[in-house]
Amino acid sequence: MAVAKLEQLSQSVAQDPSMATGAVPTNDWMDIPVVFKPGNYAYPAKKDKVEYLDSQKGLHFPNAREWSPEDDDWKLPENWKEIIIDGLGERLEKFRSLKIFMDCCVRCGACADKCHFYLGTGDPKNMPVLRAELLRSVYRNDFTLAGKILGKMAGGREMTVGVLKEWFMYSYQCTECRRCSVFCPYGIDTAEVTIMLRELLHLVGVGINWILEPVSNSNRTGNHMGLQPHTFKDNVDFLTEDIENLTGIKIEPTFNRKGAEILFITPSADVFAEPGLYTAMGYLILFEHIGIDYTWSTYSSEGGNFGLFTNNEAMKKLNAKMYAEAERLGVKFILGGECGHMWRVLHQYMDTMNGPADFLEVPTSPITGTVFDNAASTKMIHVSEFTADLIKHGKLNLDKSRNSHVKATYHDSCNTARAMGLMDEPRYILDHVVDWVEMPENTIREKTFCCGSGTGLNTDEIMELRMRSGLPRANAVKYVEEKHGVNLLSCVCAIDRATLTSLMDYWNPNVGVCGVTELVGNAIVLEGETRGELDEGLRTMVF
Amino acid sequence: MKLEEALHNNRYKIVDRWVQYTLETYKASQFFTREKDSFANPIGGTVRDSLRKIFSLLIKNQETANYKEPLSRLMHLRSVQEFTPSQAVAPLNAVKHITRDVLAADKATKLLIGELYDFEFSVDLAVLAAFDLYVECREKIYKIRVEEIRSGKELLTDGACPSKALKNITDIKR
Repeated sequence: MAVAKLEQLSQSVAQDPSMATGAVPTNDWMDIPVVFKPGNYAYPAKKDKVEYLDSQKGLHFPNAREWSPEDDDWKLPENWKEIIIDGLGERLEKFRSLKIFMDCCVRCGACADKCHFYLGTGDPKNMPVLRAELLRSVYRNDFTLAGKILGKMAGGREMTVGVLKEWFMYSYQCTECRRCSVFCPYGIDTAEVTIMLRELLHLVGVGINWILEPVSNSNRTGNHMGLQPHTFKDNVDFLTEDIENLTGIKIEPTFNRKGAEILFITPSADVFAEPGLYTAMGYLILFEHIGIDYTWSTYSSEGGNFGLFTNNEAMKKLNAKMYAEAERLGVKFILGGECGHMWRVLHQYMDTMNGPADFLEVPTSPITGTVFDNAASTKMIHVSEFTADLIKHGKLNLDKSRNSHVKATYHDSCNTARAMGLMDEPRYILDHVVDWVEMPENTIREKTFCCGSGTGLNTDEIMELRMRSGLPRANAVKYVEEKHGVNLLSCVCAIDRATLTSLMDYWNPNVGVCGVTELVGNAIVLEGETRGELDEGLRTMVF
Repeated sequence: MKLEEALHNNRYKIVDRWVQYTLETYKASQFFTREKDSFANPIGGTVRDSLRKIFSLLIKNQETANYKEPLSRLMHLRSVQEFTPSQAVAPLNAVKHITRDVLAADKATKLLIGELYDFEFSVDLAVLAAFDLYVECREKIYKIRVEEIRSGKELLTDGACPSKALKNITDIKR
């Protein structure tokens, strides 16, 4: 800009490197150090949680300690570098996909502008290609001939504390949503690069509390919250009381019942926090309406699997718990609630980790007789598949007008859309229960934008980060709010329900968030009900 | 030519430079400037849309209240990005300099620069309003944080686990 004063204006406010990375774009990206400050990092894991996890059978979380990202000294173990390089070598051997992802990127840039973190921050290191390059550069340096000989000239760089800090910064500015992988001509799953970065960091005791505490709780009591069986049951009972107040129908669900046909597992957030509570009420009403033989479990009381955000072993163990409980109770198959990464673990990793679940039967709807061959190996089906099939066979008595206070839109949760292909079933359900519209084409289905807070980033200390990474999603919601008067954002993921609520509060305060099954439950006409006018559906306060 | 007419005639040129200047405060400025689809490029889209609206209000010397909607969108964006408060608001000031520069470059409009006082005063008012909105957004963030904690997620920690609470009571009795 040629104007002298204008240049001065730029300088006076932008002379310090103030972005997360402290970057001034004239430097090579490798030479720009990361700067941690309140708001741009999630709190480190508590020492006792890491110690507990490390003490558990089959789990490996070494080097527990008190440390802070803001300190220069992260108190890494003396041989940290050896641990990281050996850990990377081990994983390159173990996971063929990682080796391919390290080698085959041609840096075409197709992924670069597809990441919601990049779109919301403008930080080049949030371009998926560059985020992967953080690991790839070390791989080149230590595991390729060209890198060993030519070093930086071949795109390699030595593993240093600075590089490790960069890994921590950017592997926790990725929600493993896999939108970038949709656009990669080579099919590189950059989420798996992030997964590896996080795994390697855990080897030297670098992890965040919002992930490790839920993992520890899930390992101990079966759910993220650490709720014990009586509390879990009490919470579901509260919901049945609410349903009785609203509809006059008393539902009496069973818990840990051996011999039930179906085990129902959903994220624990559905039974204790708004707005998931209303979705859980929807499940209860739906199952009561069709009269299936099912049970809840107070031990396998969590669909979510934060193990996915730590390492392979923790993910495997938490997933195994669902199957161990299904076997113990002797059910035929598992019906899963509205959850995100539970389904990713199930569809992408379960079979090779804990499968096939031969002790269960291929899920068959007891109401319609439909055989869900798509789940022939995992023996677990999604409540939306199940519900859509019920509607298709005319098995639900639905009154769409009960949702007339709602103009909905639908957010494809990353995991169910991209990792599972569940895109049409929720839409088919919505068609039958509510008036709704789609968001713009490049923000839905497999191109959906993440809520911005997945993979354990739904913690409050990084709220600004979450708000900027959720901008692309919020921006599309704003459009349908302004154009069509949308007032409710529906989804099929518990983390979405929690985090989109905050995202909407910030960007589009007139838009609420709900689960698809909440709308189903509200539209169902129960036999013998004495339901009055409920202006806000299942959310109506009745005294 | 009257000032109002000159500003109107040069509105695209001024707004384009203003948008360019604002997007240059991001490291990814090239992409943000190039991509026109506002769903694929929400920062670029929001900045372009807001500044266009603000400029059309500025040249009409509108009441400050009318600026709230476009200013609020811009401040919602910049208050959660890694800018200092002054960095977040500063691009608004830039329009004064850009406008002078554009008018000075053309003989037909050069003399109108002396009449820019009212226009620049409107910009000053918009900047002050932006500061209020910036702070409003920051407060909103803190409220949302508190709301999240209140909504039940504090149960995540052992502290609120009923059996743990019971244990604390037992400890006190001892």
